[in-house]
Amino acid sequence: MNAPLNHLHKVSLQSKDYKDNVTPFWCPGCGHHGVLTSLLRALSEIGVDPNFLVNISGIGCSSRLPYFVKSYKMHTLHGRAGPVATGTQLARPDLAIVVSGGDGDGFSIGGGHMPHLARKNVNVTYVLMDNHVYGLTKCQASPTSRREMKTVTTPYGGVEEPLDPVLYMLTYGASYVAQSYAANAKLTTRLIKEGMEHKGFAFINVLSHCPTFNDIDDAKSFKEASDEVPTEHDVADLDAAMHVVNLANRAGRVPTGLLYRVERPTLDQRMAELVERVGGHPEYDLRKIIDLSRP
Amino acid sequence: MESALGCDDEGEEKQQMSKSDLIIRIAGEGGEGIISAGDMITQACARAGLDVYTFKTFPAEIKGGYAMYQVRASGQRLFNQGDTFDVLCAFNGEAYDLNHARLKSGTALVYDSPGGDFEPDIPEGVFAYPIPMTATAKELKSPKAKNMVALGALSQLFAIPEVSLREVIGAKFGRKGEAVVQANLAAFARGRELAAALTKTDPFAVGQAVEKRDVVVMSGNHAIGLGALIAGLDFYSAYPITPATEIAQYVAKHLPKRAGTLIQAEDEIASIAQVVGASYAGKKSMTATSGPGLSLMSEMLGMAFMSETPCVVVDVQRGGPSTGLPTKHEQSDLFLAIHGTHGDAGRIVLSVENVRDCVDLTVQAFNLAEKYQVPVLLLSDGSLAFSTQTIPYPDPDSYTLVERKRWDGEGEYKRYQLTADGISPMADPGTHGATHIATGLEHNELGMPNYTPANHEAMQDKRFRKLMTVAADMPPAEVDAGAEEDMADIGVIAWGSTIGVVREALQRLRAAGIQAKGFYPKLLWPLPAEQFEAFGAGCRRLLLPEVNFQGQLAHFVRAETSLRPESYTICGGLPFTPDMIVTKVKEMLA
Ligand SMILES: Cc1ncc(C[n+]2csc(CCOP(=O)(O)OP(=O)(O)O)c2C)c(N)n1
Ligand code: SF4
Ligand SMILES: [Mg+2]
Repeated sequence: MNAPLNHLHKVSLQSKDYKDNVTPFWCPGCGHHGVLTSLLRALSEIGVDPNFLVNISGIGCSSRLPYFVKSYKMHTLHGRAGPVATGTQLARPDLAIVVSGGDGDGFSIGGGHMPHLARKNVNVTYVLMDNHVYGLTKCQASPTSRREMKTVTTPYGGVEEPLDPVLYMLTYGASYVAQSYAANAKLTTRLIKEGMEHKGFAFINVLSHCPTFNDIDDAKSFKEASDEVPTEHDVADLDAAMHVVNLANRAGRVPTGLLYRVERPTLDQRMAELVERVGGHPEYDLRKIIDLSRP
Repeated sequence: MESALGCDDEGEEKQQMSKSDLIIRIAGEGGEGIISAGDMITQACARAGLDVYTFKTFPAEIKGGYAMYQVRASGQRLFNQGDTFDVLCAFNGEAYDLNHARLKSGTALVYDSPGGDFEPDIPEGVFAYPIPMTATAKELKSPKAKNMVALGALSQLFAIPEVSLREVIGAKFGRKGEAVVQANLAAFARGRELAAALTKTDPFAVGQAVEKRDVVVMSGNHAIGLGALIAGLDFYSAYPITPATEIAQYVAKHLPKRAGTLIQAEDEIASIAQVVGASYAGKKSMTATSGPGLSLMSEMLGMAFMSETPCVVVDVQRGGPSTGLPTKHEQSDLFLAIHGTHGDAGRIVLSVENVRDCVDLTVQAFNLAEKYQVPVLLLSDGSLAFSTQTIPYPDPDSYTLVERKRWDGEGEYKRYQLTADGISPMADPGTHGATHIATGLEHNELGMPNYTPANHEAMQDKRFRKLMTVAADMPPAEVDAGAEEDMADIGVIAWGSTIGVVREALQRLRAAGIQAKGFYPKLLWPLPAEQFEAFGAGCRRLLLPEVNFQGQLAHFVRAETSLRPESYTICGGLPFTPDMIVTKVKEMLA
């Protein structure tokens, strides 16, 4: 599992104990509040030691989340939380790492990093807070905005089709893919918890309403559009997962719950194996390497 | 034209540093073993205790195209690749044509004949030695051994140590089995016989070593990799780019032995992001790239400065702008290195002169990054990247290593605590009681966003305060005064691999009775202005040669000091030669 790796750093804390003493700056009624609550609960349920937890984000309303969680944290650049987290994870595989950010952050400016987090199977949990809009920059179209939506940059309605984050992540080879909506704290908590316990790259798309700048997708419509995947859905079957998502998309529905999960070696495990294969250790005599350059 | 490694078209007499100082250029088609033959001469001369300094050009194409390898070998210390060759070994007509203009009276030519693809009309005064390289290799049924025939002939004609060469050939082909070794040795021996049958008329011979020294032979790129290992590198994120890739190649091979991690990222933005992430986690981290990659890293370099995250970024400069001349030499990223990011950010910029610096200054770069919690950029260049040089054996125990200041656990932890020297203790994740945020937003001592005027000014002051003592952490820039003590007629300021060229030019100028001094800064930013001023005060005129169009260092010198050096810029994709500097100085003083 991602957090904590060796069960070494377990603590018993309530979810409020994971709250840092910074008041969330989000608008009242913003879905991001709900995602935060679910994350805090998941951390408490697992018993993650805040000293061994790192929250990493990019830029956006959603990317402010680390400020509100008691942990080590980095608030980085727009779109770059994924590769920053990759570096942190490889440097310290004993840490529990949560990446959070928005739909613009993850699938527009940071979209080029997503396939690589997935295929490398970087052992982090990525919570995408998908409000189908750019919140922080005040209402522009995002890659998940519905075409008809009017924004600052699409005053007459948009001209592009949205993409589906979970379908992309399934295709990219993520080893854990799940979806929820912010108002469903129970499901979101469970999915984040299982994502953190999953050994490998866990991607959770949380539809998180933005009452300030997106009035065509509100808390109610996200809830109404969602269908929890049936209990008989085989989460180990990639074809089945794709099928569920495709069927739902065609019907204008949103499949929620755990869509896919597979166990495969994580990037840091492969790195550790490589070091073992070459007999590496930190005290390896540098002279043996330098001697190779004698004429 | 490619062969222009010099400016002695005026016909200026070439001066040898000493009799034993010999420059051999092998040229031909890529894939004919030009580079490996050159490497073998380099290795053999180094084994024999000689100083070597090589210069290569690769074809831009993957297969075929013109390739050239030049070895300068001497019993004396070498500083640069020299002006032009003494001996040209031409594998084909194209190589001959491209180098024809440099075949001056007094040089020697070894060429493929009979049986080659050309018959040269030998220029007057050139010592010419036809060797049937292609034909002999065919006759011996090892057509790939054309370069070994040439190597044998060169070794016979110019006294390249035979025993060492045989050892090097054995080592090179040993992995392919005894039969391959023997076939190559046979071709080598045949080359020697063919040359022995000719009458030697030229005066050239590789000299003897003055003393036996403990050395390694490395390229600039590999030496940077080694420097990083010595510095205690834990994490390296790579993205391939000419001419920097061999740094990653070296590190990828050796870092796992030290239990470190090298990962290839999806682009340079990801590389620098991973480096920042790993450094936050407490590890010594780096990446290396060339200009295009450094452009992509700009935003994150600002974040590293703002969040005070140590990192080392190597830029092996190549010809620009844009994709430019990817395989060619230039010193044109100084503007980018010093100021390339938005919003008033600082950093440290070092630049290397030679392969030895590639080791030493890489260690220094890590030490400065760790001490000051800033990005440190190390500038190398395209010719140094591939130049192999003999350097004293770098004893890993002889280096002082610096670790970042870490929190002692006393009192409340403030990541960005305002201190007298601006340096605030860091805390690795896992440290109890020190959870904190590293952020690109302006923040207070605790890392919390704070945009008040007083806070922003205090924090900018703190971050820049750290840089004020950097110059004191480095040895002062070298002043090459020779025997001059008084006012020099000319002072030459140089950076990067141009320094080595200037060193030799100054020796020649002094020999010609001109009072000349050199100034060789390795710390370029923050610019050590007082050191520049002190040097400038001892010179009547100042010259600043650099390989870029705009005169980038000259620009900073004019901005940061009262000095007004004359800028001498070239940007033809090749380094300066000593002759060019000598000629320029003589012109200035005429
Ligand atoms: C390089 C760069 N370009 C643009 C921006 C401006 N910017 C900040 S946040 C943002 C989009 C935020 O949208 P999203 O990621 O969906 O997060 P949300 O605010 O909706 O939670 C943009 C374009 C930036 N900070 N950096
Ligand atoms: S603008 Fe939207 S996303 Fe941002 S805080 Fe307000 S409601 Fe939330
Ligand atoms: Mg958004």
